[in-house]
Amino acid sequence: MAQWEVMVGNKAVAYAAKIARAGYISAFPITPQTTIVQYLSDMIANGELDAEYVTVEGELTAQASAFTASAAGVRAFTATSGPGLLYMHHPMHVTAGSRLPVVMAVVHRSVKGMQPDHSDMMAQRDTGWMMFECEHSQELLDTGIMAYKIAEDERVRLPAIFAGDGYILSYTAEPVELPPQEEVDEFLPPYQTEWPLLPEKMNQVLPFMMKQFGFGGDPQDPWKRQQKAMEEAKTVIREVNDEYGKRFGRSYGNGLVEEYMCEDADAVIVAMGTIASTARTAILNLRKEGKNIGLVKLKSFKPFPAEEFQRIGKEVKALGVVDRNISCGSGGIVFGEIRNSLYDLDERPRTLQFYAGLIGKEVKVGDIEKVAEKTMRVAEGGEAGPVVEWV
Amino acid sequence: MIEIRFHGRGGQGAVTGVRVLATALYYEGKFTQGIPMYGTERRGAPVTSFLRVGEERINERDLVHEPDMVVILDPLLGQTVPVTDGLREGGLVLINHPRGGRDAGLGGPFKVATVDATRIAMETLRRPITNTAIIGAFAKVTGMVTIESLEKAVMKQWPGLVGEINMRAVRKAYEEANMPVDVSDIEGVKVRQLGMMDRDVSSWRLFRPEIDAEKCVGCRRCYIFCPEVAISMVDDKAQINYKHCKGCGICAEECPTEAIELKQEEI
Repeated sequence: MAQWEVMVGNKAVAYAAKIARAGYISAFPITPQTTIVQYLSDMIANGELDAEYVTVEGELTAQASAFTASAAGVRAFTATSGPGLLYMHHPMHVTAGSRLPVVMAVVHRSVKGMQPDHSDMMAQRDTGWMMFECEHSQELLDTGIMAYKIAEDERVRLPAIFAGDGYILSYTAEPVELPPQEEVDEFLPPYQTEWPLLPEKMNQVLPFMMKQFGFGGDPQDPWKRQQKAMEEAKTVIREVNDEYGKRFGRSYGNGLVEEYMCEDADAVIVAMGTIASTARTAILNLRKEGKNIGLVKLKSFKPFPAEEFQRIGKEVKALGVVDRNISCGSGGIVFGEIRNSLYDLDERPRTLQFYAGLIGKEVKVGDIEKVAEKTMRVAEGGEAGPVVEWV
Repeated sequence: MIEIRFHGRGGQGAVTGVRVLATALYYEGKFTQGIPMYGTERRGAPVTSFLRVGEERINERDLVHEPDMVVILDPLLGQTVPVTDGLREGGLVLINHPRGGRDAGLGGPFKVATVDATRIAMETLRRPITNTAIIGAFAKVTGMVTIESLEKAVMKQWPGLVGEINMRAVRKAYEEANMPVDVSDIEGVKVRQLGMMDRDVSSWRLFRPEIDAEKCVGCRRCYIFCPEVAISMVDDKAQINYKHCKGCGICAEECPTEAIELKQEEI
């Protein structure tokens, strides 16, 4: 029997680690992630979760030790926010480069303050981690479980982040369904690695590790293999999302993107995380007024589903992209990725760029309605003024 | 969907109260969303949290700006915080206040219900944590949630004795709550939202420290320990600047000669 509980986002994250039977948890507290590791330490103290819980002296060690545990053949979990994630940057490259399926929860916190935006995760864009964005607590829990299945798949073997906006999700209480442990155990069998990095297996493991790091071959090989795994991951994400949906009755679009009211839409807006959640209400309001507009929720930021946007780009006349991040000197990062994907189309739709919710600025339903209306005007052939707008 | 805004002070349990209520309403078959607004709170500082109640998943992730109902956990909060801003016409206010709705200092196109939550909390919990008393009154004046669902949620939050004592506060408040009355003919107090530089925290006080100059030996312990720098030394005797005193009682705790006494503020 599935159980329901009214819980905050951070508790849903802790349950994801528990139900996935994480065997190693490295914990260093930082607002707004702190309560995740508090809930997990409670679960271990109560005997609900059998895991090695290590309080480390900083995030660099949190990542490095999760990486080590994963190398030794244990399912590893860690979580962090904002500046903590920046402090992990170097070992994150090592985890991805070593092809170790560590799963980490990121509770978004701006690099410029306490409040949420996606600047922390976007600064890790090129580390080779998969990145999945969530819009509600249930999705955090489900994505956490799915992330292990995707990360540990032989075709992928890459670490994964599942992320939610700090404060907005981390501390908001809402009903969440907890899937039964036995069924999750069937869905997610124990983590197995052919190459556990254990002293007695050193002779076997060393040649493998040498290869992973590119010694004795084309020095570009590690990046080549990582890129190939990312491409493979797109298939695996779809499969895992489908299987999860069949077993537990919940899936999220095709695992990569989720389309809401996009049938016959002339224009769509694209958003991630909680902004996508608020955008549902805005889109519903505009549909009631007879506007042909839809929402594309970008769930998998890495691997980036370029093919999905090419398909959508053929069907609509304009895309309005809402970025909760900025790469100063170029622009919104999701916007850049989407424009990049659309370049090869023969007939390209118009693209508009919006910044919203940076450093925790509240994003109201009305804000998204304005974004959608402007995108709609452009789709109808009108000029809408500046292409870039701060909401 | 019904949207509710809660006003309280750090330490009164506005955030936990909303979480318990969200759970209880979930037991009534509703989808709920309990949102705390976190900032740099400390004990006594005004805090806000929000509750949305709907029939299915709630997608809105912004804060509540036009509530259908406002719940106020502190009787004096309305003097410094614009508690009824944005409240929909014909909306409902539930306030912790010892008198009836027409004497709670609020007026406008809405109704006001009251409950003496501070007294109930002192009688049951023996400390001024007013959240459980207020949710008991909430059940009575709104009829949205049953005592049974509240009990289930309270006992889940605080299993055992703590939960039982809190249920006493819930039941007592349910019995004693004053039903909503119309206040549209009353002019409410106009308040100015305080800025960061305003340092008047006198309305935070539940207890007022008073210094007996005879007993004060000028040791400066209170002067050193006061977290608000509200104590100055005049002629080697401690003196309190009440504008800066939030009534935490640390001075009375630290005073070696028991020269400082805490007296409950009159409303």
